[in-house]
Amino acid sequence: MKTKFNGILTLLLVLLVQITFAQEKTISGTVSDETGPLPGVNVIVKGTTSGTQTDFDGKYTLKASVGDVIVFSYVGMTTQEKTVGASNTINVTMEGSNVLEEVVILGYGSQRKTELTGSTVQIKSDEIEQVPVASVDAVLQGKVAGLVMNGESGTPGSTTDIRIRGVSSITAGNEPLYVIDGVPMTNDNVSATSSGSSFSALASINSANIESITVLKDASATAAYGARGANGVIVITTKSGKSGKTSFNFSSSYGFQNDATDGPQVLTGAEREMLFYEAIYNSYGTAYGFDEAGAQAFYEANPGAFGTDYVVWNANGRQETDWQKLITNKDAPVQEYNISATGGDEDYSFYTSLGYFKQEATVIGSDFDRITGTVNFDKDFTDKIKFSTKNSASHSYQDGLLEASAYFSSPRAVKFFNPSIEPAYNEDGSINIFGTSLPNPLWIAQEDIDESKFTRILSNNSINWQTPVENLSFTSRVNIDYQVYNYKRYRNPVRGDGAGDNGYGWQAHSNNAIYVFQNSLDYTYELNDDHKFDFKVLQEWQKSRYYYLEADGDNFADVGLTNLASAGNPTTANSFFTDWAVASYLGTVHYSAFDSKYVLDATYRREGSSRFAKAKRWGDFWSVGGAWNMHKENFLADSDLINNLKLRASYGVTGNANIAINQYQALFSFGTDYAGEGATSPSTFGNNDLSWETSHTLDLGLEFGLFQNRISGSFGYFRRESKDLLLDVPLSLTTGFTSQTRNIGRMENKGFELEMNFNIIQSEDFNLSLGGNLATTKNEVLELAKDGNGEEINITTSTRRVETGHPVYGWYMREWAGVDPANGDELWYVDGKGSATTNDYNAANQVWMGGSAIPKVTAGMNIHVDFKGFFLDANGYYAGGHKVYEDWARYTNGTDFFTTAYYQGVDAILDRWQQPGDTGVRFGRFRATTDPWRLHSKFLYAGDYLRIKNVTFGHDFNSEIAESIGIDGLRLFVRGTNLFTWVKDDLLKFDPEIDSGGFTSLTTPPVKSIIFGINVKF
Amino acid sequence: MKKINILYTLLFIFSISFTSCSTDDLDPSLEQNKSVEGSIVDVNNIYGILKGAYSQMTVSGYYGRDIIITNEVRTDNCFSNGNSGRFTTQASFTYTANTGYFWDEAYSTIARANIIIGTDVSTLTGDQDFGLHMQGQAYAMRALAHFDLVRQYGQQHTGGTLGVPYVTEFKGDNLYPARNTVTEVKDLIMADLATAFSLMDDSYYDASKEFMSKYTAKALESRVAVYFGDWPAAKLAAEAVIGSNLYSVIAEGDYVSSWGQDGSSNSIFELAFNSTDNQGINGLAYIYRTTGGGSYGDVQVLDDVINLYESGDVRANILGYEGTMLRNLGKFPDNQGYDNVSIIRYEEVILNYAEALFETSGDALTEINKITSKRGASAYTAPLTKDDILNERRKELIFEGFRYDDLLRTGQDIEKTSLQQNFLATIPYGDPRLAWPIPQSEMDANSNMVQNTGF
Repeated sequence: MKTKFNGILTLLLVLLVQITFAQEKTISGTVSDETGPLPGVNVIVKGTTSGTQTDFDGKYTLKASVGDVIVFSYVGMTTQEKTVGASNTINVTMEGSNVLEEVVILGYGSQRKTELTGSTVQIKSDEIEQVPVASVDAVLQGKVAGLVMNGESGTPGSTTDIRIRGVSSITAGNEPLYVIDGVPMTNDNVSATSSGSSFSALASINSANIESITVLKDASATAAYGARGANGVIVITTKSGKSGKTSFNFSSSYGFQNDATDGPQVLTGAEREMLFYEAIYNSYGTAYGFDEAGAQAFYEANPGAFGTDYVVWNANGRQETDWQKLITNKDAPVQEYNISATGGDEDYSFYTSLGYFKQEATVIGSDFDRITGTVNFDKDFTDKIKFSTKNSASHSYQDGLLEASAYFSSPRAVKFFNPSIEPAYNEDGSINIFGTSLPNPLWIAQEDIDESKFTRILSNNSINWQTPVENLSFTSRVNIDYQVYNYKRYRNPVRGDGAGDNGYGWQAHSNNAIYVFQNSLDYTYELNDDHKFDFKVLQEWQKSRYYYLEADGDNFADVGLTNLASAGNPTTANSFFTDWAVASYLGTVHYSAFDSKYVLDATYRREGSSRFAKAKRWGDFWSVGGAWNMHKENFLADSDLINNLKLRASYGVTGNANIAINQYQALFSFGTDYAGEGATSPSTFGNNDLSWETSHTLDLGLEFGLFQNRISGSFGYFRRESKDLLLDVPLSLTTGFTSQTRNIGRMENKGFELEMNFNIIQSEDFNLSLGGNLATTKNEVLELAKDGNGEEINITTSTRRVETGHPVYGWYMREWAGVDPANGDELWYVDGKGSATTNDYNAANQVWMGGSAIPKVTAGMNIHVDFKGFFLDANGYYAGGHKVYEDWARYTNGTDFFTTAYYQGVDAILDRWQQPGDTGVRFGRFRATTDPWRLHSKFLYAGDYLRIKNVTFGHDFNSEIAESIGIDGLRLFVRGTNLFTWVKDDLLKFDPEIDSGGFTSLTTPPVKSIIFGINVKF
Repeated sequence: MKKINILYTLLFIFSISFTSCSTDDLDPSLEQNKSVEGSIVDVNNIYGILKGAYSQMTVSGYYGRDIIITNEVRTDNCFSNGNSGRFTTQASFTYTANTGYFWDEAYSTIARANIIIGTDVSTLTGDQDFGLHMQGQAYAMRALAHFDLVRQYGQQHTGGTLGVPYVTEFKGDNLYPARNTVTEVKDLIMADLATAFSLMDDSYYDASKEFMSKYTAKALESRVAVYFGDWPAAKLAAEAVIGSNLYSVIAEGDYVSSWGQDGSSNSIFELAFNSTDNQGINGLAYIYRTTGGGSYGDVQVLDDVINLYESGDVRANILGYEGTMLRNLGKFPDNQGYDNVSIIRYEEVILNYAEALFETSGDALTEINKITSKRGASAYTAPLTKDDILNERRKELIFEGFRYDDLLRTGQDIEKTSLQQNFLATIPYGDPRLAWPIPQSEMDANSNMVQNTGF
């Protein structure tokens, strides 16, 4: 008690002294560790933003007053504090720290990990670098509990679906908000085509320039971005310069990729022919009096009804074509080169880099490349004014595919659709252009064009002023995100989509300028050592201006001319301009008491969006969060067992405005024409009450560290209820509209999250650690719109339904009941399992199949081993409890002419009914028909899978060796991606990494790759 | 020091200039659209909406393709060879409620027509007489769209009495309408056509045929009346069209070429398609032909159809072969879909008249021979039968989407006549599959809606 009192007295005295004698002087000194001088150590005056870094010789100079506390911090070292006394020299020896006090970047600011009240996960640059991926979000998979990530296609540069803690909205977007260097960004699909490959704006960012990625999950963490934070926030921070002698970093990697999974295999020509005759016999044998052996003769006698494909094939020697092999770009190369330099002096620092990335797809006719440049520069204009600018430019090129559906000129579709009895080449070795029933993919890949070019310039400039008011600083930031996009499509006039039009060309150009202006005041107030407050007030204005221009034409003058200049008949000229704006005001208070034993956070944000009606434009969002660092309590302070124990809780309201623009207005559009003149059409139903969708999130967490963090982890629970859902409520089509966007309905997501890390062996030469995370998500629709009779308005498709009491878009379809052994008819349950069966698809009712496309459980695991400079890192990802549906089964899995005469079946259909008494078969009797779309549970599979995402093995050469060849560091590594995949359901042949809708697609699957890399520091 | 003061000042000015953002600053631009409110002030505004309504009829789900094709592939005229997988479901009568067919397109057309009908023309600036003429077109369009709906979704051939909701207001009070009976729908159609005829003015006769004219309403009336067997009404309406002397049967030598031309003398009303505004790959030409592998070409002609025409009948020249596949080469001949699509032409009115005369003991023979005499076909001789009339309709109107309705309105089965047909056995008259299901999305959104039996 006495000590404490003395402490307070001393503090008071110090304060007094500070007030009385506060007079600045210059402090200098040397910071070193056990090996010698330590450059790059952050040296700041506590409670201010005034600070510097040690130079190459470990020396620093800064201005401080007697009584100021100077904080010395360095990654991996214990932070030290020294109080300025009479001496003008302060030398410090830093010590290594096992318990690294991590600072987590939160977007508008950062926070020491112990002082966090929200649920966040931070991924550092060493986990991001050296992963050669076009789009940096790919590194998140398996690293963040509760984050589900699926690429929509393996085509490099295409978008990924990210869902954090389930799905919060039915109609509005479920994508998280991206924040880059403190600025909210759009990173949507920028592609002009909805039929071709998507193009992610995020693919323009070079991952080598990223310092850290933080994923903010709960309301306390996301409330600062409240209005748009309901789906979580992904905060990306790029690298800044480090003062000192200029150092260089060069990295290079080269590798080979193949499809991660083989996918379904198709029938051979001989199998297809056999099934075809079987179909003819089954349908007409009895009526026309022939036996199974006579089917071929009957077929050949009726060419008008059945065509002559097999007659031709047999006459030409039954040549088999392996389309899958023909469209594969085997061992597709991927390569990346980055060089960066960083350095600076006392009052400035810089980081600059140049990067090149090139990836070929695993299918012919598709690739991606990107060149990026960065200049980041920090300069202290004066003691009080610091200027910072981060600038990057990138140009990306994507040669895409027509892959968004089952387009006949996509090589990925052709593999499943084009009969293997059709030759790919003519006898003279040239491409068989006209003799295939679908356009020959070899010809299409050679002639047709689908290319996107995307240029993005990001300039983030801020100025920070340490105002004359003590501890009050002012920051102003301007960010410009300028995106230019070009799309070019060309269809050759010879064969394929352009043949009917004598060649077709389409070009689109868009530019999008997004401005962000931010002004903020930060004030730090320390009542005393035990009570510290951080206040922030921020004002933000964001405006997007989007301009689009396109034209197309047909009837090209000659082959080989692909620009519109050669189109004889221009058919479309179109341009439009749209904009949106967001204005917001934000206030945050962070209170930390008794050396962060108790932490409280409160956030309030008021945001207005142009997407809503005038009277409903502004929304209020807020959160409160608290943390209790129990290990700092006396009763745990001396515990050998527990070194970290934190309880945290938060609750708050965040929003979602992610809907199409202008939905609140009842509008006429003028985009159509008739008889050569412009025409007017009603385009939106309108809703003057349209406002924000809100999410109310409760988050509870317990974080712990045992045995000096040998075992650490966290356990959490969340419940997020989305209210006033921005829902496209279906209208009676008799109104002339399909839906009206309204604020109606509620939905819930809840789950548990567990993260664990075990440092099993910790020593100088040998380290072994194991980690993992596990998350559950349960989604349920709580309320929907009702019609005039008070009946709930559901959304039903052939396979899915939105209804209260079930997960959103839960699987809802006719349940397959097997094959009738007596006659080979496919059977369905009239009312789900256990009810009577019927062979009439229409007579069967759709029933709930349990589950949806949202994984109920996701998990990530990782292992790290290092031994004398050699290291091995591996991580894996698991998703389960969800179901996925095999799309296009009508074409590929039919027991009719689709698989045997028109297109090409997969080999799964060989498991079929052939004669009365056949049981346990998966497919019914083949028939000489064309069956309709019949979507039912036969093609619904368990979606569970486990994938080893990355395995990296490498060697860091020790400094002696490095120095002997005149460099500072050298790393060699080999990395394998998606080397192993386990799929629970044997019937699921497509890659299990399926987009959030849950339907398999005919896109390029993720790749399996082996990449060799080198990293040199000098 | 001075420099720094300037810097401070600039900083403040800079920040303050962006601090004040009000609700009005958040108004989005509207550069391509206009707010519905206050946008209809001049007769020309109605003209824009009228064109929008016609344009809605040209979409591929409606007259751009589907309503015509589905009435051909479900008959003894055509089948789907599955070349692109299109229309096999319809051709094999295996549809479900999850496909809505043209329900939404037709009601969308009606909604546009209702905007025009609901406008008080006397409050508008501009040529108000033209405004009334356009309102007449809107009434005729509303009638046609409801007729299309009731003939495809109504229960008149499946043993029921329910028709479709007859919608007469844009964003009206009843957003969840129930189905009217078939009889009610028929009466409302006839009433709308009568209003259309009275509102439209002869002086606005459109020679391009791309907009409806006064006698289009009468021509449509004859079609509706024939469909419902209201023979006296059919007779009167057809006589009015014939009496207008505005149209003529196309000459024998022009029959084939007329399909490649817009606004021919036999055309009463056709929808405009051209090189910049067409359904392209989703159009009629693309589905009727493969043109050397460049288009879908699913809808093939049954081999037997070649035997329909006697030697010398010019209409046989519509047919032709792609390899061994019998095709419709002559109707909607432009492969890129630049041809106008005929909605009603004079020959149909003559045939309607002939049938009405036949049913009312008039001189049908003279009328029907007005067609054969201009086709290089033998004249019919007494006694003329109903089958003769239906057969002549089939020959004249083949590939234009009439056959299915002609079979059903005369109570016939959809017979399995060829191995090529997609269905395996005859569909008997009265089978629930003869009417489209009401779309599931309509059922979900509107609890007043009743589904057709069998779905």
